[in-house]
Amino acid sequence: MKNTIKYITILLFAASLSSCEKAIDLKLKDTTPQYVVEGVLTNQAGGCKVLLSKTKNFTDNNDFNGIGGATVTIADDNNNVYPLTATITGIYQNSTLTGNPGHTYQLNVSVDGKTFTSSCLMHPGVPLDSIYLVKDELQNNKDGTPRKYVTVRYDDPIATKNYYRFVQYVNGRKEETIMLEDDEFTNGQEVNNNLRFDNSNDNPARDIRPGNQVTIEMMSIDPTVYKYFYSLSNSANGDGNNAAPANPLTNIKGGALGYFSAHTVERKVLTAP
Amino acid sequence: MKTNRPAWPSMLICEITRTPFRTALCLLLFLMMALSKAQAQGPLDKPVTITINNEPIKQALEKITAACGVRFTYNETVAKSTVKISVNAQNQPLGEVLRKSLAPHPFIFTVLDNEVLIKYDAGKVKKQAAAGTDGKYTVSGTVKSKQTGETIIGASIRVTDANFGTSSNEYGFYSLTLPAGDHQLSVSAMGQKAAVVPVSLAGNLRLNIELEDNAQQLQEVTVKAAPAGARDLASPQMGVEHLSIQETKNIPVLLGERDVIKTIQLLPGIKSAGEGSGGFFVRGGATDQNLILLDEAPVYNASHLLGFFSTFNSDAIKNINIYKGDMPAQYGGRLSSVLDIKMNDGNNQKFGVSGGIGLIAARINAEGPIQKGKSSFLISARRTYADAFLALSKDSIAKKSQLYFYDLNAKANYVLGDKDRLFVSGYFGKDVLKAADIAGINWGNTTATLRWNHIFNSQLFSNTSLIYSNYDYKLNIKQDVNEYNIYSQIRDFNFKEDMQWYAGGKNTISFGVNSIYHTIKPGEISATGNSGVISQSLQNRYALENAAYVTNTWKATDRFTLTYGVRLSAFTILGSGDYYDIDADGNIVGSKHYTSGQEVKTYINPEPRIAAAFQLNDVSSIKASYARNAQNLHLISNSNSGSPTDKWVASTNIIKPEIADQFSVGYYKDFNEHNYEFTVESYYKKLQNQIDYRNGANVFTNQPIETQLLFGKGRSYGAEFLLKKKTGRLSGWISYTLSKSERMIDGINNNKWYNARQDRTHDIAIVAMYKASEKWTFSANFVYYTGDAVTFPSGKYQVDGVTYYYYTNRNADRMPAYHRLDLGATRQLKKTAKFQSDLTFSLYNAYGNPNAYRIFFRDNKTDASRTEAVRTTLFTFVPSVTYNFKF
Repeated sequence: MKNTIKYITILLFAASLSSCEKAIDLKLKDTTPQYVVEGVLTNQAGGCKVLLSKTKNFTDNNDFNGIGGATVTIADDNNNVYPLTATITGIYQNSTLTGNPGHTYQLNVSVDGKTFTSSCLMHPGVPLDSIYLVKDELQNNKDGTPRKYVTVRYDDPIATKNYYRFVQYVNGRKEETIMLEDDEFTNGQEVNNNLRFDNSNDNPARDIRPGNQVTIEMMSIDPTVYKYFYSLSNSANGDGNNAAPANPLTNIKGGALGYFSAHTVERKVLTAP
Repeated sequence: MKTNRPAWPSMLICEITRTPFRTALCLLLFLMMALSKAQAQGPLDKPVTITINNEPIKQALEKITAACGVRFTYNETVAKSTVKISVNAQNQPLGEVLRKSLAPHPFIFTVLDNEVLIKYDAGKVKKQAAAGTDGKYTVSGTVKSKQTGETIIGASIRVTDANFGTSSNEYGFYSLTLPAGDHQLSVSAMGQKAAVVPVSLAGNLRLNIELEDNAQQLQEVTVKAAPAGARDLASPQMGVEHLSIQETKNIPVLLGERDVIKTIQLLPGIKSAGEGSGGFFVRGGATDQNLILLDEAPVYNASHLLGFFSTFNSDAIKNINIYKGDMPAQYGGRLSSVLDIKMNDGNNQKFGVSGGIGLIAARINAEGPIQKGKSSFLISARRTYADAFLALSKDSIAKKSQLYFYDLNAKANYVLGDKDRLFVSGYFGKDVLKAADIAGINWGNTTATLRWNHIFNSQLFSNTSLIYSNYDYKLNIKQDVNEYNIYSQIRDFNFKEDMQWYAGGKNTISFGVNSIYHTIKPGEISATGNSGVISQSLQNRYALENAAYVTNTWKATDRFTLTYGVRLSAFTILGSGDYYDIDADGNIVGSKHYTSGQEVKTYINPEPRIAAAFQLNDVSSIKASYARNAQNLHLISNSNSGSPTDKWVASTNIIKPEIADQFSVGYYKDFNEHNYEFTVESYYKKLQNQIDYRNGANVFTNQPIETQLLFGKGRSYGAEFLLKKKTGRLSGWISYTLSKSERMIDGINNNKWYNARQDRTHDIAIVAMYKASEKWTFSANFVYYTGDAVTFPSGKYQVDGVTYYYYTNRNADRMPAYHRLDLGATRQLKKTAKFQSDLTFSLYNAYGNPNAYRIFFRDNKTDASRTEAVRTTLFTFVPSVTYNFKF
């Protein structure tokens, strides 16, 4: 709901400010590369993965700048420590480790004399009841065909504060937009939440078209992780709308960018008619 | 002096008998004359109607004889006297006329049969001087335009034989205390022909002064004293810029809509918040630190259509003053500036209609007398029709979209007699932005002011105001089966009493009180459908803002003047509502409920204001001032250009009043016979309790807003230069500002000083107007300023396969410098006494410089392995034509 209101409001103002865009040569400062930790532990097999990378200069290419040679472990609240091993440079995995809701997990990354730590509670998963498509009445796809969005339906538990993140795949392609929701305005309700995204680069592969297979993952996340993604999408995506861009609020200690999230995953699939 | 007393009974008679007003008035006048004739006994009772301007006494007496038939007897001393007298009598008894006109002179008169004996008496004037209030009397009245009857604000009234004068107040009232005797008053005002009025003071005198409109600007105005609209060199008031609406007429603007807020941004120290924003920055302050008053009513959002137009319709405006510092004590509540806009009163001489039709907007203005010469009304309306073009669009949604604003100004004034005047004025404006019934937002201001001017006596002027202001917005979104409505409002009830006491020649004391009751509805959301959103509203916030002030302008010597005073403001936060305790991370650690009307907290701030002027000579002066201001209403915004949905928040137990201390010094010089003016002002401003959003703040939340905020301090300093050519075919100005503005907020930028977004090192504006012929006027303006301080990425990284950006220091980067040239031309089409029309052409951004509205960063559209910086530009080459008429 919050996203809906935000997107539509921005769209409304943007429409009245028709402007012309041009790529320009802008001299940006370079800085010492910083570590980025992206740690994920889910309740499903193969869901344990930690990415370690470094920031790059703006003019560099977008390739993942993975850092090898790190010692990465995840510990549970019974003092069991599980090592993760490097598969590709910068990607550390433990294919057998799965998390259990209600437990807190500890991430530890040691690299080049630095240590980054974080802990995160895996909250009980909220079931994803169903997903369906809704036509957008405000915008069409670039080629004029109707634009469609997924709506997710779930029952928000009344007793707890809940934070959700949704990830959408269209024919296996992951949608870039960060889709978040909390229950600040919907506590204990049946929620039908529209997953809007702005296809700002007009990439037809992002649109949901007839015959496409659409997968939705629903994650019940910790408030610190919600805060991370909220601030990441609002102030670090470079969209120029925020008056004060800043680095997102991380739950990693030790001076790295990124986050560590232990969460449950619910999955639903549909084929667009 | 003539009084209007008969008007009341006669009007009453009209009302009762339904007799036409004028007939009744004549009847009454006739009756009175008959009465006075019947009573006539001696020569001193004979009525006289005569005007004599400064003529030798012998000549004057002969004229009086010719006028009324009474003869005079006098000796040689009187006959040869060089004393000159002035007489201004309308059907007044001769005795009274003589008493007045001879009062300041060493002559006395007695009746001798049917004649009058005039004798020389050397002791009279001296005696009077010793006996009277040190021989001084007060001349007071109202300065008005002869053609329209509009009162004139800021007219200069100077005594030609002394370095002494005053200026009319915001209701055109002036009061001057002078020694008994003959004086000449030189009266001038912007856009008016200067006049010299003789006065002969033998008692307090009411003198209303009418000035002729100076329509023919080509005629060289030969005024030796400071010309109309000149900065007052003697007054300690500094940091003030004055614009009359005539001045804004020829300055080219975007889409041809004259706009006072855009025009003031061409003055030093006042900077545009950028294209697509209606806000402006004054001396490094934020946009919400400007107090914008329309006929004394605060206007909370002064822009239409996301800042392309100001809410002020130029047709309805009389006068604009902006105080950049050293705010007079009567104003308070904002840190950076006061923009005081006064609406026209309406023409009280004749009915007239004027208007204009432009590319995207049309406007119409009607005004006329209610009682001729005394009271009047004015109605002015505007509407844009840009959305008419949307209907031509192929896109079905654009076709059904709406994008427009309209506004309405209305005002009436009524003279209740010689000493009382009532004004009612109002403003209503609305913006509508709507996309095919799916999403829409509308927002607008409403203000209403009821004012009562009362003249207690020639030295004491009072104005009482009751004011209402309201700003609200409604957001409506329909999506699938869901509908959301969001509503927010800020509303004030405001009482104000201002008194001006012209206490003798040396002191002018202003004092008054102000009380505002604020109600803020931070937001309510109602939802229908299956989204699960529970309709709710945030608690209303209530506050009472009281202030009292007193200030004195003391003319210590001919050259040195001092203004000193204090404003005491008290902001009381009232229940009902919950107020919170919050820890350093923004988490709520406690709360307390207050019942309706219960005091939560009161912030008391004494705000001293002091200013001094030392006049070096007739054409130059230096000034210095210090002023403190406190601000209890804060606009919380995190978007780049401001939005109608930005939040107004009152001080709470956690949000402390913002405080600014400003020190300034200035040097002022007129040269080339007052044709040119040069000004330098320099300031240092210290700000306390500044507010910013936390990093990652949640803007859309039902949590207390304090949980999302951080607090700190600020400082700004700079120097402003202005060179202005005020007369001649070519007029205009060059302004340059060199400045710095910084903030230090706990929790931002590692608690180190950083540039405020509005920190602009250089800011230049050049404005030129050239009257080429009776038919053509050309104009141009050029602006250049350092780009805003912004935060650009210092690197990038991937999260979940998507590029995000890495930031280091807050606002350490710059937008590209902004520059633009606008051209304008006005062609007079027809000009008769009854009908005037002209065509105004303008070209905004004449050389099409692609100024950056914003810069954003993204993966390259064609090569996703690269990132790029993208500049968006709003306006390049915007031509317009507007047809204006008046009849």
